[in-house]
Parts: sequence; C-alpha cells; structure tokens
Amino acid sequence: MFDVREDEPDYARLHDPEAHTHNRYGSLIDLVERSRLPAGESMQINGDLSVGENPNRYKQHGFHFTADNCIGCHACEAACSEKNDLPPHLAFRSVGYVESGTHPNFTRINISMACNHCDDPVCLKGCPTRAYTKFTEYGAVLQDPDICFGCGYCTWVCPYNAPQLDPVKGRVEKCNMCVDRLEVGLKPACVSACLGNALNFGVIENVPERREEIRTEIPGFPSPDITKPNIRFELKRSIPNTVTRTGSQALKYVQKHGERYHPELDERRAQDRRAWNLAKLSSRENPLVAFTLVSQAVIGAFTILFLARLGGIDGLAGLAETGAYPVFIFVELVLLAGVLVLSTLHLGKPLRFYRGFNNLRHSPVSREALGVSLFFNALGAHWLSTLLGPAWLGLLPQWLSAGAATLFGAAAVFAGAAGLYFMTRIYRIKARPFWDHWQVSTSFFGTALSLGGLLIAAGWSNALAAPSLRVLAGLIILGLAAELIGLVFHARAMRASSNEGAVAHHEQTTAYGYTYWLRNGLMAFSLVALLTLAVVAPTGLPALLGWAAAAAAMLAAAVIGRALFYVLVIPTTMPGAFFWRNKGFEAHARETGLAQWQQVGVAPETH
Amino acid sequence: MLFGRKQRNPIKIADKGVVEWRYATCGYCSTGCALEIGINANGTPVATRGAAGADVNRGKLCIKGIFEHELFTSSGRGTVPLLRERRSAPLAPVTWDAALDRTASEIKRIQAVHGRDAFAVVSTGQLLTEEFYTLGKVVRGAIGTNNYDGNTTLCMASAVSGYKRSFGSDGPPGCYDDFEHTRCMLAVGSNLPEQHPVIYWRLKEAREKRHFPLIVVDPRVTMFAQMADIHLPVTPGTDVVLLNSLAHVILNEKLEDRNYINEHTSRSNDFEKNLEDFAPDKAAKVCGIDADTIRLVARTYAKAKAAMTIWTMGINQSTHGSDGVVAINNLNLITGNVGRPGGGGLSITGQCNAMGTREWSSCSGLPGYRLLEEPAHREEIARFWGIDPEFFPKKRGLAQTDIFPAIEAGQIKGLWLIATNPMTSMPNSARIRKMLEKLEILVVQDAYADVETVRYAHLYLPAAMWAEKEGCFTNTERRVNFVTKITEPPGDAKPDHWIFAELAKRFENGRKMKVPQTTAEAFEEMRVLSKGRLCDISGMTHARIKAEKGIQWPCPDGATTGAPRLYTDGHFRYADRKAKLITLPFEDNNERPDEAYPFWLNSGRVVEHFHTRTKTGKIGNLNKFSPTPYMEINPDAAQALGVEHMQYVRLVSRRGDAVVMAQLTHRVPRDMVFIPFHFHDCVNRLSLGLLDPYSRQPAFKQCAVRIEPVAQATAGRLNAAMRRF
Repeated sequence: MFDVREDEPDYARLHDPEAHTHNRYGSLIDLVERSRLPAGESMQINGDLSVGENPNRYKQHGFHFTADNCIGCHACEAACSEKNDLPPHLAFRSVGYVESGTHPNFTRINISMACNHCDDPVCLKGCPTRAYTKFTEYGAVLQDPDICFGCGYCTWVCPYNAPQLDPVKGRVEKCNMCVDRLEVGLKPACVSACLGNALNFGVIENVPERREEIRTEIPGFPSPDITKPNIRFELKRSIPNTVTRTGSQALKYVQKHGERYHPELDERRAQDRRAWNLAKLSSRENPLVAFTLVSQAVIGAFTILFLARLGGIDGLAGLAETGAYPVFIFVELVLLAGVLVLSTLHLGKPLRFYRGFNNLRHSPVSREALGVSLFFNALGAHWLSTLLGPAWLGLLPQWLSAGAATLFGAAAVFAGAAGLYFMTRIYRIKARPFWDHWQVSTSFFGTALSLGGLLIAAGWSNALAAPSLRVLAGLIILGLAAELIGLVFHARAMRASSNEGAVAHHEQTTAYGYTYWLRNGLMAFSLVALLTLAVVAPTGLPALLGWAAAAAAMLAAAVIGRALFYVLVIPTTMPGAFFWRNKGFEAHARETGLAQWQQVGVAPETH
Repeated sequence: MLFGRKQRNPIKIADKGVVEWRYATCGYCSTGCALEIGINANGTPVATRGAAGADVNRGKLCIKGIFEHELFTSSGRGTVPLLRERRSAPLAPVTWDAALDRTASEIKRIQAVHGRDAFAVVSTGQLLTEEFYTLGKVVRGAIGTNNYDGNTTLCMASAVSGYKRSFGSDGPPGCYDDFEHTRCMLAVGSNLPEQHPVIYWRLKEAREKRHFPLIVVDPRVTMFAQMADIHLPVTPGTDVVLLNSLAHVILNEKLEDRNYINEHTSRSNDFEKNLEDFAPDKAAKVCGIDADTIRLVARTYAKAKAAMTIWTMGINQSTHGSDGVVAINNLNLITGNVGRPGGGGLSITGQCNAMGTREWSSCSGLPGYRLLEEPAHREEIARFWGIDPEFFPKKRGLAQTDIFPAIEAGQIKGLWLIATNPMTSMPNSARIRKMLEKLEILVVQDAYADVETVRYAHLYLPAAMWAEKEGCFTNTERRVNFVTKITEPPGDAKPDHWIFAELAKRFENGRKMKVPQTTAEAFEEMRVLSKGRLCDISGMTHARIKAEKGIQWPCPDGATTGAPRLYTDGHFRYADRKAKLITLPFEDNNERPDEAYPFWLNSGRVVEHFHTRTKTGKIGNLNKFSPTPYMEINPDAAQALGVEHMQYVRLVSRRGDAVVMAQLTHRVPRDMVFIPFHFHDCVNRLSLGLLDPYSRQPAFKQCAVRIEPVAQATAGRLNAAMRRF
C-alpha cells in the first residue's frame, strides 16, 4: 500500500462528495455499470491484494487543469519523475507553453499534460501486443511494459504524446494515474505537488472547489473528438486569437470567429528558403521505408503474375511456366524475409515479435502483420508446390498436387491484399494529419503495382517479348499515375487544411523543397519514359536503356518519396518548452554532442 | 468504450523500497521547506517528499527539493584534500594534517609579512548556523583578519543594510502568514514562481481564499507579473524613483498614518522636501511608469487595512539596493504597516542559510547581531570566548566585493573560500580570474572538487554537503529549522565545522579558546549569547526545533512559541526606539544602453537551477530544463538584427563577450535581453557589477550590451564542450 504521510494535508486527498451519472458525451461515468465487468477485485499493485475503499472507485476520473494558474514551475513533472523513478530523458508528464501578445501586453500559458485516460483510447486499439488495458477502477488506462515490444505505434496514435518510448530500454511506459495513491485515497503525485493551484484531479465532469469551468479544450490542445480524453480545463482570462509555440516547428494556433483554436502554419517562423536536406531523409524509420517498399513490390509482383495467369493475359500468363519462375519466387521470398527481419529489428524488443498478432480485434498493426505473414507463408508453400510439382506425384493424390500451387497462390493473393489494406490503415491516424489522407492508399497500392511490375520486368528482362513489356509498362504506368494523382490531391488538401499537415507540407516544399521536386520530377520522368516505351515498344539496346533509366528513376523516387512520408510527418504534439520537448533542440543536442551528457536529458537515438 | 480485456494482469508501479524517512530542511533556497529523505534497506537515500506537518511548505516541495536525494550521489565530489605549490602543477592528494598545517602556516606567513588583514576569508550562505558561528569564532578570535565576509553580499547585503538604516538592526519583520492577513501586496523585483515557488504557493492559497490586489514591479513580464492585478514594467535601476514617488503621493494626498509617523519615526527636515522631486509627473519620465498608475498604486497601498511589500534581487542587486530597501521601509513606516499582521516589508532571502550567517557568522560584526563598533559588544564576546578584546578590530573590514579589488591591488595576498564559487557568481569574470591568479595562496573549501574556482586553487579541502552533517538553518521568516544527518560524506570529506575546529588548533588563540567540536556545542554557545538580543533563540534546543518542525526567533527562554513578527509594539532598535525615515535623493549612475551597446543586460534565475549549478547541473531531471545558456530577446528586436529563434549569438559588453542561444519571446522589452546567471563563463563575462555605496552589493541587473552574429557550427561545438563537468 502506498505510504500515506502522517498529517497528510487535505489538498492531497481525493474529495468528490458528489458525482454525475453521465459524462458530457452521454456515457455512464460508473464504469462497472457501463462495462458489466466484475467489481470488488484487487488491482494487484506490486503484489498487494488489498482492495481500495474509495466509494468512487469505479467512476471515471480525470485531471482538471486551470491554465490561468500554471506557473511552469515543473513541480508536477518532478513529482511524477521522482515517484516513477524515471531517467532524465523520459517523463510521463511534461509542461510546455504557448505565448501571445506584444510586450508588455504579453501572455504565456503553460500547459501541463500527462495521460488523459481517454474514453476511446487509441493507444489501446492500436497496440499490436495488447499491452494496454482500461481499468474499471478510476477509468485508468494502464500500459504493461512487460508485454510491450517497443514498436512505438501507440506513440504515433496518441494525440497528446502520453506514451513514452524509451530508446534505452526499448519499450513504452506512461502515466499510470498513480493508482497506488488513488487506492489509499490520495490524488496523483503531480496534483499533490502543484505549486500554482493549477492541477487538480477527481471524478470526471466534477467542477473542483474554487473553480467554475470544465472546458474540454484550450489553445494548443488537439480536438477532443479524436479520443474523448478525460481532462477538463479552466481558462478564464481572455487571450488573443493567435498563440504561438516556442519549439522548432512553425506551428501556431488561431481562433476564428470564437471557434476552437486550430493549428496553422506560423509564417513568421516558417523558413521559406528551399533546400535539399537529403541527409535528413535517413531516420529511425529507415527499416519501415525498406519494409513498406519491398513488401509492396513483392506482393504486387506476385499478385500481377498470379492474376495474369488466372486471367490468361497475353505475355504475362506464360511467365509462370518458365524455368525462371521458381527462382523469381524464391528471390521474392528472400527479399520479403529480409525486410521482415529488418522491421522486427526495428522493434525495441525484437525477441517479443510473436506478440504482434495479439490484437487482431482492434489493431491494424496486428492485422497487417498477420496479412503479410500469411502471404509469406502462402507464398512459400506455393513456391514449394511449384518446385516439387512433379516430385509430388508419387506422394500425393493428383488433384491435390496439381491444385496445391494454385490454392496457395490464391491464398497468398488474398493475404497480400489484406496485408496491404491494413498497411494503409496503420497510417490513417487522426493524430497525424499529414498521413491521414487517401493518398496513403494510392501510394501503397500504386507502389505495389509499379514496383511490382518493375520487379517482374527485372526478373525476366531479356526474356520478355515486346507485348509483355507493353503490358507491364501499362501496369506500372497505372501504379505511378495513381500515386501521382494521390500526391496532387494530398498536396492540395494539406495546403488548404488547418492542422499540422499544412506545416508538414510547407516543410516538404521548403526545407526539403528541392528533394520534393526531384521526387516529383523523377516520377513524371519515369511515367513519360514508360509511356514512350509502351507506345514505341523498342527492342534490344534502346529498350534496355529505356527500361534501365525508367527503373532507376522509379527506384530513386520511391525511396525518396517514402522517406519523405516518414520524415515529414508532424504529429499533433502538445506545445513543448524551449529545451524540453523541443524536437529542434533534441536534434541540435545530438548534432553538437551535447546529448552525450545524460544530464542534458536527450537520449542518443538508438537504431 | 473499450476496456481491452476482462482478466486484468497485475500492475507494477515503481517502488523504491523506502524503509525510513528522515527529516531535514532543504539546502537550496531560503523558503525553508521541511522535507523527508527516504532511505532504503541498504541505507541509500532514494526518495524525497515534503514534510506534511511543517508550517512553511505544508507537504509541498519545488523541483529542486523533490530531487534532493540525488545530490548525495552527484558527480564531482571531493574526497581527499589536494595541494600544489604552483598553479601550473597538478593538484596532488595530501593528508588533512598536511593540508591544514599548510593553510595555517600560509596564513601566518602572509600576516607576518603584510599584516593581519592581508589574508581574507570569504564564506557563504549555505553552511549550518552552528558552522557560521564556529567559523566566526575562528576567524575573529584566532586568525584575526578583518577582511572576512560572505557571498551573501551578492544577494542580501542591501536588505541587511536597508533594515539596519531604517530600523537600527537587521531582521526581516514579517512572515509568510502575513499573506493571510494582507489587503494589498507590492512585489518589487521579485519573481516568486521562479525563485521561491513554495512561497508563491502560500501566496496563491491566501489569494484564492480572499483575493487582494497584487502589484508586481518588474521590467519583464514574468509569470508573477502575469498573475498580478497590476504589472509595472519599470525602467531598470529606477526603483527608488518609483518608490519615492509612491511616498510622495501618499503624503501629498494625506493618506499617511500621521499618528504612527509621529510616535514611532524620526526624520530629517529635508525628507518631505526631497520627495517633491519625485512627484508622479517627474518620476514617470525616469522610471517609465505613467503618473496615473503611480497614483493608483499609492492610493491602493495606503488605503489598504494592511499592506505589505516583498522584494528580492530586483531591489537588492542594484546601485541603489540599500536605498531601495530603505524606500520600501519608508513606505511601510508612513502607512503604519510595520509590525502589523499583513503589513510591512518582508525581504525574501536567497540562500538556505543566508539568515544564519547574518545572525551568527561575525562577518560584518559580532555574533548575535552585535557590532564591532560597540566597545561593550567587543568586551562581552571577548570575555565569552576567553580572549583579549583588543584582538578585535574596532570596525568591520571589507565586504567580499571590496576584498576582490584589494586582491587586484595587491593588498590582500591570500584567500580562503568556503562553499562559494566566485568564478561564476562574481561580476566581470575576466577581472575575477586575474585576481585569483594573483593570489599567493588560494584555499578552496567545497563539497565539489570540480567547481570552477578550484582551477585557481593551491589547496582544496573536501567538505561535507547538506545533510551530511547536522544542525540548523534560518529561513526568510526567521524560522530556525533542523537538518538531520542523512548520510556520511564521501571518501575523506569532512564537515565544515570539523575543518574550522581543526584549523583553530593551529593558532595560539584557537588553542586558548574552547572551539566547539560539535554543532550541538556551538548551538549551546549561540543560545547563551542570544539571550536578550533581537535574534533570541534561548528558548530553543535542537530537539525542540525538530519536534516543532521549525521555530521563529525571537523565542526567549520560557516562550511557548516563536514570534511571528518583529516591531509589533512599534519599538525599534535605535536608542530612541524610533525608526528612521531616511531622505533618498536619486542619481542614476548605471551603465545605461547607448548607441554602442543598445541593450539592457538583465540577469536572473530559473527555477530548475540553483546558483552556479554545482549541484543542479549534475542532476539530469533538473538540468534538462535549461541545459545550456540562453537569452530571452524581444522578437521585434531580433528581427531588426536578423537573429532567429534558437540561433546562437554573441553578446559583447565593455567587459567581454559571451555566446548564448536566442529565445525569441515578448517577455522582455525591445531594449532588453535576459540571461539566467547560472552558467559558468556566460553572463558574468559581460556584467559590470557597480557596487551599492552602503551594502557593496553589485548591480547585476543593470549594464549594457550589444549583439553580434557568430558562426553557428563553432558556437554549437563550443557550447557543448563548455557544458561538460
């Protein structure tokens, strides 16, 4: 049991003499009533089997933050880090700020945020290992670091940056609502430590003593529609309709016509200079660049071959009968195996990879993992059947051995399609507006077609007759065109949007501007080149050169484009401070070597 | 709603395995928070929490206090005495005997050749009170130099001087409880949320229960200014003008407490006449606050049933620091607020035990607020200590900020620094460096061997740190509180009081006197000497202080509680028992911005660091919030110069230059930049530090700089190299 102090002051004790029955979304606040899960059980905190006696134990609790009062003293962050024994580079609770006005009519609003223990926890839904559980006790969303394998997907989907991926330990941890304190009637450590009388805690929708408001948002806070967070605010002072952040991202929040504050590009801070920044394309997500590109190419190539064969498409149907076919499939298997290993190593704890299938019910990551794994296995079985074809005759009945390859092939196509579909779903994250657009689908499926077709062309190169090349070129053009259309609409949508996507797109056209236009140019070039190849259908050396040029351009564009996709995304982050939670400073600290001193609080990036 | 699973797994939450909590008073600032350090089964301090039943903080702690248990394992601690003949040689380990013998022999040699005062001692505000007393006994009674001061001159000397001039004695008259009774608060040059966050919380609680107007005087829009009802962005260095103007309005509009003035104050004839020069319309032009606002503030203050003023470095660290404090006292005297619950002027003190050194260290006088200038006091102390009263000088010697120039001019040849880091904290680092290099002998006594000043030392004495020894601190509101010994000092480091006692044995008078061997012995001597003095602690014992979690002095023998306020009867410490209303003319002698150096350089504190970062720079959970030097600059000014957010720039003053990272914010006016002072080789390379004529405290917040571009890559690498410990 948590060690309550003698003379524990009143401000530290939970105090909710009354509570509403429903929250503002119309859901029951009593979570046992709502969930029909059993009551009266121990939370088994650190092996303690006692059951808390709080009469409000099963009611959804949440933080209440009076933004008027926060002085940015870090006491809440410190109390949380001290209680949870966190190293300097990690924090469950962080304080940042937004600013507005001109001296001396200047306002800084500090914002302290940990986890909001949401009604609709996207972390819980997204986690492939099922490391998250929402407890009926207090409505706490708790994460189990012993289950987690450090993929970091929860850190992608949470709009408030609550989960913290520790690059040193390779797993995620986050705010645990100090449930051990709650069970003995105490408010969380951060609330108890607050020196500005800003942070409070209680049953959700209760107005704390000496307060009036329970708003659902303040400037800098993402839309509560995403996850229905259990946090309420008071902000009584009037603030100008534009507030700015101090971090490196050129983001500000603007209020038009008394509506909520929307994120917008901060032109004052936005660099309009165009640059390459080619080196910055390489990031921690490189394995994912490789994985998505290669898996899409492999799935695309096999699907084309299989469907072409099934549909009897001239030029392509016969490829499955050639001697090169088993070799081609084998190469595909090796490529796919290679990137599967790579993406497994991308996990913080790769040896726990098998847990990735635990959340098929909700997580697109689990579903994609299953889809791609099934594809891989089915493709392997298809390859074996194809290879051993005649040799089976002696061992298996005729109908089985003949149909086996086709059966496995079909299974692979279905699994591959499902895998690709869920791969796109992974990136449809509300908290990452730059990704949350149908462009992901045109990109991924488009790549499957275009790179898949290219893979086939490379596989059979000289052996391909002009008609086959024409068909292939046509398919590749289809893929490229789809991707280009998607990108055009995406650029338009981002420019017009009022969110972090606009900022990301702006960076795309400025900081990475030359690289961006290089990618666009390469895609356009390969499109034109392939069109020409399709129409003119040359043979011999010109064909080889033409295809080689198109291939090189396509590959370069694919890698650059996919890298841009990962590197540019700006999540809906809570505003940070000047050093702490400022990505720009973290990058600077790593560049200049400041990060090697652990007291700077910046973990050197692990790969 | 998704719950995820029906069968829940067990929950693991960090448990540090604390088996015992030990009481102590925080060793950082003078708020005086009581805390408990959690010890695990191995005896290692692993956790900290606020002490719930203590009056000052009522269970709360600030970020520094919360991580105080990490101090015991912080890097760079000294574990063995070090010695070298010349600064060009490396420091080599020696025994304590050798180190102390050497210290004593050097002191005697220098004194024999150049006189008793040619060896100086500069101590601190962070030792235990008993250690200050012991040091004072050793320095005044055995070593006999009159050049003995503490680094409190950089921080509180103006407050001390102002109190002495107005009331006849040092001693802040108010307490935190005044927040619950006051009807109007004026905060001048104080940034409570950043400097004393727990005191801010006390104030916030009081204001939430019953709102009262808060007026904050600060050139920057600090969080405190944001929380205020009225913010006065005063022009740097002109607080006296504003305060005089307030007094003018009050007298002019007959809002003063005439009775109180007649009964309890005396003044010279020119007092009112002088104030005419500070009529609001004239004052506005100098201090930058418009006349109507001045009148509004004056009326609000005077009409309040009880009005109080708090202040910290914005007043103290200026060329008119002492005058500023006197002006605040004037304001409170003419409105009858001194000694009234919720009224008066409470100086918020800096270091955890600056108060203790003021009371007992004998730096500026003799123990227990006694004076070297009083023959009766010299007799009394000499008799108590068992030495010849003629051994004492007949008036105090140089303050710290005059000791350094005396070194520069060759008058002082040797220096003993105790728990202070002038290489980072003194203004004009280049000059200080040269001064330290001139010394024939520099002895540095400090908990940390990697403190920057050690680079210039011939002798390093490793000392124990906070809570590695046991004794008392006194906080801002005169509350004496206890620090338990939590753990042993590392290696061969010794408590400061042991070092003092051992050194004393090597002096003739030191062998004659009975130098306290333990802090309990020292406390007993202090107790006896305090009887009947203003800082009476004769009713206290270590046990009683611990049990009550802090007792305010005066607490004479037999008193059931400490005294929350001073001067409640209107009787002050001058012979006529009246306070003085002191005439304050004003002449601006600051280095103001001009064409060549167009920016005010302001400096101050951030909550996550303490002073020169010898402690807080090593604790990641503190340091990460400000890991490198930075500067607040107004975005309009930055744009005009082409300076971008998060870019390095170079600042140049008439003393030197420094490189910082620019933070664009409208917190500062267009003609001012602000740099936290904590970083070594940064803001003090630029600062001038003109001295207050009375207190000798430097003006850290007023000088001029210009901004120059600097190569980003080089600046970044330099910065990273300089932040290593």
